[in-house]
Amino acid sequence: MLATNLLKKDIVTSSIPNMLLPLITLPHIITPSLAMSLLPDILSRLSHSSPVVRKKTIVCLYRLALVYPEALKLAWPKIKDHLMDDQEDGSVTTAAINVVCELGWRRPHDFLPLAPRFFELLVDSGNNWMAIKIIKLFATLTPLEPRLTRKLLRPLTNIIQTTSAMSLLYECINGIIQGGILDGEDNLQERDEVATLCVGKLRGMILMDSDPNLKYVALLALNRIVATHPTLVSMQQDVIMDCLDDADVSIRLQALDLAVGMVSSDSLQPVVNRLLDQLQQASAPAAELVDTPQTSESPKVPTLWPNDYRTEVVHRILDLCSQKNYSEIVDFEWYVAVLVQLVGLLPPSESEDDWSHPKEQEAMPNLRMNAAFRIGTEIRNVAVRVKGVRMEATRAAESLMFVDNRSTFFPSGSTIGDGVLGPIAWVVGEYAECLLSPNRTLLSLIDISNASLPSTTLPLFLQAIPKVFVQISQTSQPGDLWKSEISLLLARVIEFLEGLAAHPDLDVQERAIEFLEVLRLAAESLTSDTQEVPFLLASVIPNLFTGLELNPVATSAQRKVVLPDSLHLEEPFSHDLPGLFRNLGDLSPHESKSWETSDFYHLPELSSPNKQTRDPAPVDLQPHASYQNFTGAPVEPPIAVQRRMLERRERFKDDPFYIAPSGESSGTSTPFHEALNTSNGEVLDIDSIPIVDLKLGDEQLSHDFDRQRSRRPPVRKLVVTGDETFETPNSLADTSRPKGGDDHPTYKRSLLQVDSSSLGNLSLANGPSPQVSADEGDREMARAMQQMEEVRLRMQRASERIQLEGTPAEGTLVKKKKKKTRKHVASDRAVGTVVEDPTEPAMGKKKKRKKKTQESEKLPGEN
Amino acid sequence: MINAVLVFNNNGQPRLTKFYTQLDTQTQQSLIAQIYRLVAQRPASACNFLPLPPLLSQGASSSASGPSDTPTQITYRTYATLSFIMISTSTESPLALIDLIQVFVEALDRMFENVCELDLIFGYETLHAVLSEMIVGGVVVETHIEKIIAGVRAQEGYLGKKKAVQAASTSLGRGALPGLGAWR
Repeated sequence: MLATNLLKKDIVTSSIPNMLLPLITLPHIITPSLAMSLLPDILSRLSHSSPVVRKKTIVCLYRLALVYPEALKLAWPKIKDHLMDDQEDGSVTTAAINVVCELGWRRPHDFLPLAPRFFELLVDSGNNWMAIKIIKLFATLTPLEPRLTRKLLRPLTNIIQTTSAMSLLYECINGIIQGGILDGEDNLQERDEVATLCVGKLRGMILMDSDPNLKYVALLALNRIVATHPTLVSMQQDVIMDCLDDADVSIRLQALDLAVGMVSSDSLQPVVNRLLDQLQQASAPAAELVDTPQTSESPKVPTLWPNDYRTEVVHRILDLCSQKNYSEIVDFEWYVAVLVQLVGLLPPSESEDDWSHPKEQEAMPNLRMNAAFRIGTEIRNVAVRVKGVRMEATRAAESLMFVDNRSTFFPSGSTIGDGVLGPIAWVVGEYAECLLSPNRTLLSLIDISNASLPSTTLPLFLQAIPKVFVQISQTSQPGDLWKSEISLLLARVIEFLEGLAAHPDLDVQERAIEFLEVLRLAAESLTSDTQEVPFLLASVIPNLFTGLELNPVATSAQRKVVLPDSLHLEEPFSHDLPGLFRNLGDLSPHESKSWETSDFYHLPELSSPNKQTRDPAPVDLQPHASYQNFTGAPVEPPIAVQRRMLERRERFKDDPFYIAPSGESSGTSTPFHEALNTSNGEVLDIDSIPIVDLKLGDEQLSHDFDRQRSRRPPVRKLVVTGDETFETPNSLADTSRPKGGDDHPTYKRSLLQVDSSSLGNLSLANGPSPQVSADEGDREMARAMQQMEEVRLRMQRASERIQLEGTPAEGTLVKKKKKKTRKHVASDRAVGTVVEDPTEPAMGKKKKRKKKTQESEKLPGEN
Repeated sequence: MINAVLVFNNNGQPRLTKFYTQLDTQTQQSLIAQIYRLVAQRPASACNFLPLPPLLSQGASSSASGPSDTPTQITYRTYATLSFIMISTSTESPLALIDLIQVFVEALDRMFENVCELDLIFGYETLHAVLSEMIVGGVVVETHIEKIIAGVRAQEGYLGKKKAVQAASTSLGRGALPGLGAWR
């Protein structure tokens, strides 16, 4: 309160410097309540005779409005007057424009009526600073008023052609881009002219001289144009490519961005090759650099680029190549070679940084992946999607996998390998038939050094090992030699797996033990004297891994699967769950356990008509069954199964956990329930497992690719498989996916950010009737007064409480009376506000105690 | 708007820190350290725009296009031993900011007559006065150098007497604030 008064006094002082001080200070310390109480005084300063005071007041009001939007409502008419006044001091107008520019993007609608005045100021005033701001403002206004673009085009082109100030030139171009002048539909001729002019000027900015700033901002602007006019920009390719070799990292990064935006299938290869050259230079020792042609033509000093830049380049190369589902790549063999090359070029330290914070990575999975892992994933993607080069991709993966190659690709001490090896191991295993020498690959996979790989990579290795092993066992000719060879290999694999069976990571451990047991069985079967291949090796284990072809599935596909009508995910199993759980104690432990789990997975039965349309289970379920048969699980005759089912149904009839089949239409019990209950070695009722046939939009996809291919010169016809997804008639995906963006600004608030969102809700446009605003002001005032009263009361009480504690215990009674009276006064002052008073309950207690003592005194008297 | 104006020397010692939003000292210091690290890496021939330091880049991702409240550009300029940094949102023009720093330094030069780092240390009041003539609450109010100088002098004239006493009492070298004597 004291400070507020002092500030008030300073604001209305006669000395100008003294008056300016609070105006400068206020933006730093402003709070809503302070803004409210100071607003009238500051408003009066707007009409001060000194322009210095006026301009600072305008800016001060802007900051006031940020915390207290009502201020703007009152101040805006006056600021507008200053803006419209031709006689006004230039610097005041500039300040007002600056403020309007800040406000403008929040509520552009309110400033549209002022456009003519802005236009006038832009054309007439020779002030470049102000012109820049006005152009910035127009950039936010033009999307709302299409007529404005036509009017602006001429003066802007005029400025672009005549001005000597680079900043103004740049802002004009920027304004044209951001204002959306370039991306409308009508009068295309003129638009293209402007675009050409802009790009030409930008090219000039890049080329003109060695000013790195101009280069940077020109690239920035080109980056914005590239979205609408990629062809225009790609005409400037030569200049941009030169920027890729610039000495400045900022410029390089911008150029890289641009390169990603503008590449076509023709320019992709040179661009990537150039970047690869750069990377090679960066990783090569300085002595070799002299020989490369790149450095000889440019006089720049060959600096070693920081690792994060090199990583960025790697990411960008991958971005470049993988965009639009590899539609820009003509030569996939080349791409695979590039990927292999990239592995060798990865900067060593980067991946270490990433791997040292695995937790962080998990927390932000959407963030960019580790570059090494990305390369591995790319190789896998190519292998899966492009059937034509699957052989090459697998061979590449194989070459990376070899233990003796690893030391060259992944220098010791670095952890690049960990990221790359995982996906590669998968490729090697999945497409084992493409391998050049499966034997060598298998030996590399079970190399003892692999045991130290991280637990995220090891499971992939473990999966790949039996796959490759199967490949070997199937391709080689049966015979004595074969047998000894295979058993030797098996022994080595088993030895490797045994080492991992006690791995601390559970996932690794589980897989290792599973495969260990299977392979032990295989080894056992080999020891028999028969000449032919044991059944286990010949068909059982291979069948584990042969099945349907794996296809890429879009991440959103799962969401598009239409729920069957009979599946009620929302419905509780029983409405009396707590009661049921109470009864659980009666059940025997074994039974209750199995019921719980089965209930958990329980699915309501699909109605019987669906059953006909259901596809039979795919073949890859079969091996499980046969495997179980092989290990000697007793197969019961169907009648026994039927009887067992009936028995069970009888047993569960009264059990509330068991959901009885609805109606008698189907003969079997609920499929999952049964499947679960019987899966412990009894029987697999495969027919009863509902399989939803996934209808994929294959025709659509292949049609697209045909079109793409026809456009491209047929170097080699390769089909890139797109993500599989469903064609939903009612564009389910769009509605179900929450739009991350402007609607819900959930992003984390940045440091230094001034929150002006409250301004967005405030309307200035021919403001509401004064009655309403006055009402609002009153209400606001009343609320603020209440708050202040509250705070004051609380402070007062706090001081009293301290007093209270300080006083001796005997004195409390006397003190309390005083307090009570004072409290009455206080609550009167609080005009109907509910003031929470921590001392109140205590007082109540005391009162009660007092009463009690009085009563107890009374009671003996009565007695 | 401009979110912060920083001046530090080649060793990363801050000479002026002006944040136009409230920020606790700890964050301020780590931000300055991060920006200094970025500036120190850059060769003289590099352009005057910095990538966002980690502290600032957290919230900036969502502001890919169009103006917003998040600071997205950092413009710096180095003069001899001092680096001038401006952190701003996208509503400011990057090239204009470079010019603004130029105007700031020129104004300081006029006030101090051949400004140097020591001037800023001992004449910090003038330094702040110049800045507050140019930027108020993160908004540029004046870019005309004559008006800035006039504004600062008007303020100093009021405090002149006090300053003179201070200057006389300090036994520090350089005859403290030589530039201030010139106008009286």
